[in-house]
Amino acid sequence: MSSRPPQSLSAPDALHRPVIEAARAIPGRLAVAGPDAELTYAELDRTANALAHRLRDLGVRPGDRVVLYAAKSAAVVAGMQAVLRLGAAYVPADGSLPVARVATMARDCAAAAVLVDGARLATTVAELDGGIPCADLSQEPDPAPAPVDAAVRPDDLAYILYTSGSTGTPKGVCISHRNARAFVNWAVDELKPTADDRFSSHAPFGFDLSVLDLYAAFSAGASVHLIPQELAYAPAQLVDFVHEQRITIWYSVPSALTLMMRDGGLLERPAPEALRTILFAGEPFPIAQVKALAAQAPGRRLLNLYGPTETNVCTAHEVTPADLDSDCPLPIGRAVSGDRVWAEAPDGGRAAPGEEGELLVDGPTVMLGYWGREPHGDGPYRTGDLVRELPDGSYAYVGRRDHMVKVRGHRIELGEIEAVLALNEDVAEAAVVVTGTGMDARLTAFVVPAQGREPGVLGLKAHASRQLPRYMLADDVRIVADLPRTANGKTDRRRLAAGLEESDS
Amino acid sequence: MTESEIRESISAYIRERFLGGDHKGELEETSPLLEWGVLNSLNTAQLIGHIRVAVGVKIPAMEVNPENFRDVRSITALVTRQRTAAA
Repeated sequence: MSSRPPQSLSAPDALHRPVIEAARAIPGRLAVAGPDAELTYAELDRTANALAHRLRDLGVRPGDRVVLYAAKSAAVVAGMQAVLRLGAAYVPADGSLPVARVATMARDCAAAAVLVDGARLATTVAELDGGIPCADLSQEPDPAPAPVDAAVRPDDLAYILYTSGSTGTPKGVCISHRNARAFVNWAVDELKPTADDRFSSHAPFGFDLSVLDLYAAFSAGASVHLIPQELAYAPAQLVDFVHEQRITIWYSVPSALTLMMRDGGLLERPAPEALRTILFAGEPFPIAQVKALAAQAPGRRLLNLYGPTETNVCTAHEVTPADLDSDCPLPIGRAVSGDRVWAEAPDGGRAAPGEEGELLVDGPTVMLGYWGREPHGDGPYRTGDLVRELPDGSYAYVGRRDHMVKVRGHRIELGEIEAVLALNEDVAEAAVVVTGTGMDARLTAFVVPAQGREPGVLGLKAHASRQLPRYMLADDVRIVADLPRTANGKTDRRRLAAGLEESDS
Repeated sequence: MTESEIRESISAYIRERFLGGDHKGELEETSPLLEWGVLNSLNTAQLIGHIRVAVGVKIPAMEVNPENFRDVRSITALVTRQRTAAA
C-alpha cells in the first residue's frame, strides 16, 4: 500500500475542500450535530462520498444542479458536500416550503435530481411526475465508498439560493466557489475559529446566513450545531440550546436574539459561558437591544454584518464601546470579503459623505447572476439599499428604493405575494403591506373579491401556502371593496399601511 | 369545561383573532393551521395565552411543537391531556 495520501483533484479553494481536509487531519472530531445524527468529519466524509455515488448513478454530472428538499439535518449537510464533490451545484429547499414551489425551483434550474427526506418523498415524486429523478436522502449509506472529489474552477457554480422575485416567481441567485470562499475566508480571518469552536446554525440552508455557519466551521475543523426550523423562533428552547450545546459563535437575524432576550430569559440566566462571539445580519438591530446584549458579557464580540444574497456579506461593523454610549443605529460598517463598496448619488456620481445614495458592491463575492438570465458580468452590483457614508468612512443603512421588505431577515417582494393571491379565482386584485419592525413585523394582505365571488380568509391562506414559503404568508387577510390609488393610478400601499398603524395604536 | 367546550373555545379564538371572523365558516377541526400559515411562531404564543386564561391550562414549552399544534383537533387533545395530567 502506498503511503501517499489519495490524490485530491479539487483545488484548495473549492468549497468542498475544507471537509475533505478535516476528515484527513482530525477524522474523529465532531463536524455536524443535527436532530437526526451527530457526524464526525470521517462520518461526514463517508456519507458524502456514498451519496455522491448514488447521485452519479442517478445521472448527475459536473455542472448539473441538485435540489435538496428536506428538514434541516446532518443528512442535508452531507448532501450538500456530495453534490459539490461531483462538481455539481446544490439548491437548498427548506422542508417547510410547499412542494409546488420546490417543483418550480427544480424546473427553473433544470435540476438533474432532487434529494428528498423520507417524509417528503411521495409528494415530491407525485408533483414532479417523473420529470426529474428523486432519491431518498436518508437511505443507509455504503459503508466504504471510494472518495469523490471533482476538480472545479473558481467560477464554477457552487449553489443557487432562491429569493423572492417581484414578478411572482422566485429568482435563483447563482454563487460560485470563488464567491463563497471569498466570504468564508474573510469570516475565518475575522473570527479565527479553532477546532474547539462550536457554531450555531440558526438560519435555514436556503438563507445565506447558513454559509458562514457551515463553511467557517468546516474551515477550522470546528463543529456546527443545527437548530431545526420549528425551534428557530421558540424562545426558551433557543436559550437552552445555546447553554446545552455550549455554542461559542452564534449567527442569526436580530429577531431571534430579540426573542431570546424578551421571551426566552436569556438575560435573566447567567451569561452562556462558552459564547464568545455573536454575529447578526438581515435587518437592523435596535441599539437598545444591542446594549442589553452587550451588557450581559462585556468581553463578548458583537458584529453587525450586511449584504444581500447577491453579494453575501460585503460590509461589517464590530460593535465598539462608543456605539454603546450613543443612541445612533449601528452602522453596517466597511467593505469586507475583498469587496469594494460605495454610495452612488442620483446623478450617477459618487455620493459625498453624509449624502444619501444607493450602495454599490464590486468584488469577489458578487454573484455570477440569476439563473436563466444574462450573467451579471464585470460591473458592480446595485443593492437597491440607500446608505449614507459616515465621517469615519463606514456606512449607515437608510432604507430601500423599492417594494422589497424584510420580515425577520427574510427578504420579500410584496409583488410576489400579490401575484399569488391574484391567481385565486375569487380574487380581483390584492395589495400587501408590512407594518412594524423586527419581531413585530406583520404582513397584511388587502383582497378585493372578483365579481360575484366571496373569498374566505382561510381559503386564501390555504391557497397562498401552496405557492409561498411560510415567511411570505400574510399574518392578516382583509377583504375590502376596493384599494386606494395614488394620483397616477397605482395601488397606494403607503395609505394602506398608515391606516393599519393608526388602527393598531 | 368539557372537551367539546375546549374545542369550541379554541376554534372561536382562532376564527376571531386570526381569520377575520371566518365569515364563510371554513375552519374545520382538521384544517392544517401551521401549514396554511394560520398559526405561526408568533401568534401561537397568543393562543397559548388564551388557553391559559380561558381553560386554565398552562402548556409547557416542551409541548409546543408541530404535531401538537397541527390543527384544532390536536390542540384540543393536547389541552385535554395537560388538564388530566395536572388534575
